[in-house]
Amino acid sequence: MNAPAGLDLAAIPERIQAEVQRAIMRSIKGVEYFSTSGPTLGSTPKDVLLSRGTMNLLHYRPMSDEIYRVPVLIVMATTNRGYILDLVPGQSFIEFLLKRGYDVYMLDWTAPRPEEKSLRMEDYVLDFIPDCVRRVQADSGEQDVSVIGYCFGGVLSLLYGSIFSDGPMKNLICFTTPIDFREMKLFANFSDRRYFDVDRLVDSVGNVPPEMILSSFEMLRPASRTVSQIQLWENIWNDEFVKSYRMFDRWATDTLPLAGEYFRTITKDLMWDNKLFNDSMSVGGRAAKLENIKVPILHAVAEHDHIVPYDAAKHLIARIGSEDKEEVMLKGGHVSLVAGANAVKRLWPKLDSWLGKRST
Amino acid sequence: MTDKINDPVAVWQKMIGEMEKNFNAFATRAMESPEFSQAMNRAGGIAAGAQKQFGELMEKYLVSMNLPSREQMTGIAERLQVIEGQIGEIKSMLGQMSAASGRSPAGAAPRPPRTKKPPPEGGVQK
Repeated sequence: MNAPAGLDLAAIPERIQAEVQRAIMRSIKGVEYFSTSGPTLGSTPKDVLLSRGTMNLLHYRPMSDEIYRVPVLIVMATTNRGYILDLVPGQSFIEFLLKRGYDVYMLDWTAPRPEEKSLRMEDYVLDFIPDCVRRVQADSGEQDVSVIGYCFGGVLSLLYGSIFSDGPMKNLICFTTPIDFREMKLFANFSDRRYFDVDRLVDSVGNVPPEMILSSFEMLRPASRTVSQIQLWENIWNDEFVKSYRMFDRWATDTLPLAGEYFRTITKDLMWDNKLFNDSMSVGGRAAKLENIKVPILHAVAEHDHIVPYDAAKHLIARIGSEDKEEVMLKGGHVSLVAGANAVKRLWPKLDSWLGKRST
Repeated sequence: MTDKINDPVAVWQKMIGEMEKNFNAFATRAMESPEFSQAMNRAGGIAAGAQKQFGELMEKYLVSMNLPSREQMTGIAERLQVIEGQIGEIKSMLGQMSAASGRSPAGAAPRPPRTKKPPPEGGVQK
């Protein structure tokens, strides 16, 4: 009997041996996986400058002998923890910025408590962010502040920047920030106003539970969780794969609840009425028009973003009033754009070259 | 190197990848329908109502057992957090006062000067 064309018979015993070895390693590493915790995340040295309920302002200790004049404030998305930007040494965006000479602050969120269900969009945009900016100014001794917003942190930064257009924001960087919420098609369908009674939900549960937020993210790619577990089992012999899997899995499932009133506004103003895109958004009675933003802006979007599809983000740069504005599309997904091995090579150097010359 | 076409592991991985893509695409099409939204939100509404009722029932049970409820525990946690926040603010104020007087606070490294310039175009970052 002849071997099929292209089949290397001599390589088969070697391949079988490798697979048997991997099978043994899987059993050993599988036991190890369940008996150990994952890598420590978010360990870059920092100080808490301000803590008010769900809001925390962190200052990371400089790692450079000389720093840029303008400090950087990162505004994290309200649904997730900020340690995605500070995974482990060598894969930490924060550490990268510190080593490149930036003075870094982060507005990070903890789970809003039941009594914080009444927090409104106004609290986030007109109180939390301005309060943090004031603290950054006081702590750094500088008037100018660059703002980086990730995902919905980008939306909050846009609202802040469009209302406080006279400063002190000097530069704005948005990562995967949606403005046209009609184009987030599945989220739009999940929250279809004909069937989704947001008032009933918020009035009955107060804060929107993290399980609900997590489910809605997972429903965007329902098979992916199962497949990633199969891939984990296949690669459990590979320490680097397992480390990476644990970091991202822990972060992805560590979803935060959303304050009820804030969620009500997001649903009604953004998901239903698409007010940011339609230029009719206001926060606390103050108009938030994107054209009011005149500072330099960089918008980084991901080619394969399934959470914020490009169609939902692509109009941002055109709507901004700035003359110095740029959109950059990079390979990767919603998370791999900002964190992990690919971000180290793609987004971070791009951001550094853009922001460095605007930070003096 | 074994040809990927004849490598059963590579074939298996490719098949899993394709299955994932196809299932996700199929599910996305199904979830874009108004019928899906209606069914999902009906189920979600029932779950939210049940969760609220269960929470109220649990609260009564804990009171009868003379145990603190989650709300009371979060109240204590909140007070602790406020205290932690105030300590953080005091530390921050002390740091600012020390910086203003030209001394660095005990244990804190002095802040580097804000004199950094970007590397020249095409230059290598130190």
